[in-house]
Amino acid sequence: MRKTDVLDVAARKLAPYMFLFGLYLVSYGDISPGGGFQGGVVIASGVILLAMSPRTATDTFPPARLSAAEAAGFGLILAVAFAGLVMGAGFLADVVGTPGFLSSVTRAPFALLMNILIGVKVGAGVSLICLTLFAESHP
Amino acid sequence: MRRLVEIIAVLLVGGFLFLALHGEHPGESETKTLIVENGQDDTGARNLVTAVYLGYRAFDTFGETIVLLMAVSGVIYLTAGREQE
Repeated sequence: MRKTDVLDVAARKLAPYMFLFGLYLVSYGDISPGGGFQGGVVIASGVILLAMSPRTATDTFPPARLSAAEAAGFGLILAVAFAGLVMGAGFLADVVGTPGFLSSVTRAPFALLMNILIGVKVGAGVSLICLTLFAESHP
Repeated sequence: MRRLVEIIAVLLVGGFLFLALHGEHPGESETKTLIVENGQDDTGARNLVTAVYLGYRAFDTFGETIVLLMAVSGVIYLTAGREQE
């Protein structure tokens, strides 16, 4: 499949809406169906749509930064998990609780935090897989 | 010979799946009642799936992220290593 200008423009115009939908799935994971893994994969599919144009995907999301983002996401998940251990409530326990001033935004802040971290990690990981495989076939 | 091994493997997997899914499954169970009644109060999340995978069984979610990390590392190792031939 040759890469043309039409594909280029269309992909670059439509990709932000896929990122927006992925972000919606990640952040509303505790109210509506969705969550970290589902939203992360939709964000990765937005990156794959950007790969339709010649070099936009690797210019906007360089693989070095994607792997750094994935490692940082996993490190933050580990930090949150050990924070529960340090505070004496147990590994991966609910360390945030239910603060009153946020109850109009969300009633499960720990689930929101974990969903965002998991969404970042899964999105970066799956996009890294796909961009590596694309670079294999187009030297 | 290899075709025979593949056929046997597929038949075994199909047989176990049939045994697992065949027959009547109970509509009510203690776990289901406990999660449906206490899920929102214990974790604060209205989505009961989120209450299970981030509240009651968060350790399995942690293991899932590790599995994804291994998968990404494996793919990068297997494809990027070939460019140096």
